[in-house]
Amino acid sequence: MAIWVVADKCTGCGLCAKACPYGAMLVEDKLARLGPRCTQCGACLGACKFEALLSDLTQEPAPDLAGYQGVWVFCEVQQGALARVSLELLGRGAVLAEQLGQTLAAVLLGHQVENLVPELAAQGAGRVYLAQDPGLADYSTLAYTRVLAELVSSHKPSVLLVGATPLGRDLAPRLSRRLDLGLTADCTELAIDPQDGSLLQTRPAFGGNVMATIVTPRARPQMATVRPGVMPLGPRREGAACEVLRQVVALEPGDLLPRLLASQARGQKPADLTAARVIVAGGRGCGGPRGFELLARLAQALGGEVGGTRVAVEEGWLPAPRQIGQTGVSVRPELYIACGISGAIQHRAGCLGARYIVAINRDRRAPIFSVADYALAGDLFKVVPALLAALPGGA
Amino acid sequence: MALRSDPEKLLRQVMARFVREEVAPVARQVDESGHFPRELFHKLARMHAFGLRYPVKNGGAGGNATLYCIMCEELAQGLMSLAAIAAKQCLMATNFLHRFGDQEMRERYFLPALRGELVGSFCLTEPEAGGDLGRVSTTAVRDGQDWLVSGMKTWITNAPVADFFTVLCQTDADKSIRGLNFFFVPRDTPGVSVSPGFHTLGTRSTEISEVAFSDCRIPGRYMLGQEGKGLGALLAILAEIRAMTAALALGLAKAAYQAGFQYARERSAFGKTINHYQLIQAKIANLATEIWAAELMLYDTTRKIDAGQRPSKESMMVKYYATEVACRAADEATRILGAYGYSMEYPVQRYFRDARFLLYGGGTHEVLQTNIARELGF
Amino acid sequence: MAREAGSFLGVAVLVKQVPDSAEIKMDPQTGTLLREGVPAVMNPDDRLGLETALLLKDGLDASVTALSMGPPQALDVLSEALAMGADRGVLLSDRNFAGADTWATSYTLGRALERLGQQESLDLVVCGRQASDGDTAQIGPQVAEHLGWPQVTYVERLAVEECELRAWRRLPGLVQEVLCPLPAVVTVLASPVAPRWPLLDRLLMACRSEAPLEVWDAADIAAPAASTGLKGSLTRVVRTFSPKSGRVTSWLEGSAGEQAQALINELRNHKLI
Repeated sequence: MAIWVVADKCTGCGLCAKACPYGAMLVEDKLARLGPRCTQCGACLGACKFEALLSDLTQEPAPDLAGYQGVWVFCEVQQGALARVSLELLGRGAVLAEQLGQTLAAVLLGHQVENLVPELAAQGAGRVYLAQDPGLADYSTLAYTRVLAELVSSHKPSVLLVGATPLGRDLAPRLSRRLDLGLTADCTELAIDPQDGSLLQTRPAFGGNVMATIVTPRARPQMATVRPGVMPLGPRREGAACEVLRQVVALEPGDLLPRLLASQARGQKPADLTAARVIVAGGRGCGGPRGFELLARLAQALGGEVGGTRVAVEEGWLPAPRQIGQTGVSVRPELYIACGISGAIQHRAGCLGARYIVAINRDRRAPIFSVADYALAGDLFKVVPALLAALPGGA
Repeated sequence: MALRSDPEKLLRQVMARFVREEVAPVARQVDESGHFPRELFHKLARMHAFGLRYPVKNGGAGGNATLYCIMCEELAQGLMSLAAIAAKQCLMATNFLHRFGDQEMRERYFLPALRGELVGSFCLTEPEAGGDLGRVSTTAVRDGQDWLVSGMKTWITNAPVADFFTVLCQTDADKSIRGLNFFFVPRDTPGVSVSPGFHTLGTRSTEISEVAFSDCRIPGRYMLGQEGKGLGALLAILAEIRAMTAALALGLAKAAYQAGFQYARERSAFGKTINHYQLIQAKIANLATEIWAAELMLYDTTRKIDAGQRPSKESMMVKYYATEVACRAADEATRILGAYGYSMEYPVQRYFRDARFLLYGGGTHEVLQTNIARELGF
Repeated sequence: MAREAGSFLGVAVLVKQVPDSAEIKMDPQTGTLLREGVPAVMNPDDRLGLETALLLKDGLDASVTALSMGPPQALDVLSEALAMGADRGVLLSDRNFAGADTWATSYTLGRALERLGQQESLDLVVCGRQASDGDTAQIGPQVAEHLGWPQVTYVERLAVEECELRAWRRLPGLVQEVLCPLPAVVTVLASPVAPRWPLLDRLLMACRSEAPLEVWDAADIAAPAASTGLKGSLTRVVRTFSPKSGRVTSWLEGSAGEQAQALINELRNHKLI
């Protein structure tokens, strides 16, 4: 792309120099010339009265995207097992692949991870790209980026999904920049545009106040990350077969960066709320630790976990990993019981994936009721004990 | 002109965040403790807050009266006693030292006070002399090269924790107010005794007490300013002291207003939140109007001070008006909150108590109103 | 180019101006966020990054430059950075930078960092983990890739040793200690001590014309218009809408006991218990 001056037509009038926001257009000896400060923004083009400025700026070359085929899921390995979010993405990816009439492929990087292939097949992967190397045993940004970039460049998928785990959030942006791809973070919905087959990536914007649907018009693959717990698992196909494509890995010493020296467990392993079937959550209305003791008894009686709002965590009633919402975790249990939670948008965003939502709150106008399947207007310190009394094993 | 930030906006933003993150979480606890908030005092010192209005070459931040009042206003939104303590350290406690102290006093007292290592105090009021300075009976008498200071001062903010005092004394009773001079008296001077702190209704963590001086011997150079010019030296900062008091009042008024505003939108009665009731709307509308007026008056006054004027009348008017607004705002906020305004768990009761502190600090309103009328030539 | 041990350490910190989330209030009637009049402040994670960088100055001959991209008023976060102790502030501001997605943002920041590196040595770029108004956490790794430097994310503490960086990464349930050669990019989610408060004397100094603050436009960093802002973005927003729940709410009325029993019946019907 460029802008150039037609010397025969230029009168050196200087209109273009006035229009240039950067002072990049120089007029010398009655002739305009582009200086080094030009950013090719095109502001000068409309200013010329003598058709002396030409440009190819408008001719954005339409990229050839037809050659990109297949829906890929980057599958993360955590302590020898597949991360749950990867399985969730396979579930969603299978639906997308079917709509596109393309193959769902899992990308598996690691060392001695071949034993995980059958599970990938059972979760819907028709193909597995397998890259194994001792250098991939522990995650390192540059090694994983190199291998994944090579895979993408040679096989040209149309969609690449990555779980928004700490690893995924380290890897995905690095890869997107290396291959000059767009990347949409923390999608809550993924769909295929029936018109042109592009990936519609929907995520909360402005603190969850609005949802924005985003597309990647001129780069492939279309990359998106999805937080754990947002997508449902797909149906299991026990014993399903899949094609395995082995990638030759040739790492260089400089790829193993940063170098892991030591790893130390700290704090209790955070409860995995994203996998819980039942969650009993509390907010400001719980009033304190006493309220949360009550919720813990209800959670125990229902075989579930306890979660809560940002306020509950900030008040110290609940450890941080149990915070549900925009700044905490997103959950999708079968049953979500919100106790004393008014239902700020930031919190609602984290629990909307639940199959059934029950809300117990004193204030009938609390926004939480607008997303609840069952609304109980009342004092949680009366309703929850009544529930416990009526539940088997609750008393 | 290069693109630059607005210092007033930036300072307000930083102090508001300081109040939100450092002051608000401990405000109740500090207030109930009844003790000087030493930790918060040091945090402010580490931000170089106490030198805000002094020139950079003298160890200050190069601010002015407007910036100083912005800081006081923001601090007062969090905790009045802290705001009052900081306001005093910035101005009355250190100002005479700054203007008239010699190199030794600067190194030994002034700069450590800006660093928060020493607490200063300002002794004006006496048991028998408040607004009428002609009745000051604390005396300083020459004794060779030295001065001997004797007398009793009361309602002295920070006195129980002070390391030094700036004391208004009479050196020649015949000259009445023209015999008034300021003296620097370190706390460890023999003859200084400080009474236990008073029990007060509000600003409970501002320690206030009496200070008695009994033949306190200080060197001649501890007279702050030229002999006979004490009143003039006080008048030079009096408008700023009153503007500062108005800033404290404005901060408290805003905090009380916010509490009422917030609560009225959350609290329901008879099927709707109470902000839908006209009697509540009237309170909010009146307060917002008065707060705006007080703010305009305040910063108009400080800009005059910063322009080198001495807006005596304006400073009295805004001190008087802003304090009345603060008292009304605190009163109305407690009414909007109903019984919660009466509970010690909510800060609104503290606003109500603390507002009373402003009624006499910087001159009682009865005296101010008289003086305003006099300045109007009435 | 590798850094020589013991020599000057050039550090850049990326800071962003975001709406103050503590000041965002919700309309209790409609549940929508009230964004009017919300002050713009320094992104909290970036404040941690700045503190982390400023701590390095205590033990090393280091200089800290705060770099931001945004409209002219974003200069305020750089003034605050100077007040906290940064040596210099650079604002990237140009109409062509508006509407950038993370690709175009990281390109623009990357070009500016390259220019900084030409002016004085640049060995380390510190970013906050993510911006509170976008939560994407992409800029750090993307800038690292632009520069071709290694990256260390989720850092809670770091130390510069000779020509290397030792960092402690905080991940769910564990802490990793890693080593990485300089130059490098780190993203931090905590600082060893709470971020320092701005000094008021430096704050007022930062507002004067002689303050070490600069504003760079697209031409200053030789960034072509096609690679910045909306034009340079690879993603496009095609639709925005309000989140809808689509649930039908059933109110369970009566005494607490009756409500409890009604709920248990419903849960049984759905085989939830």
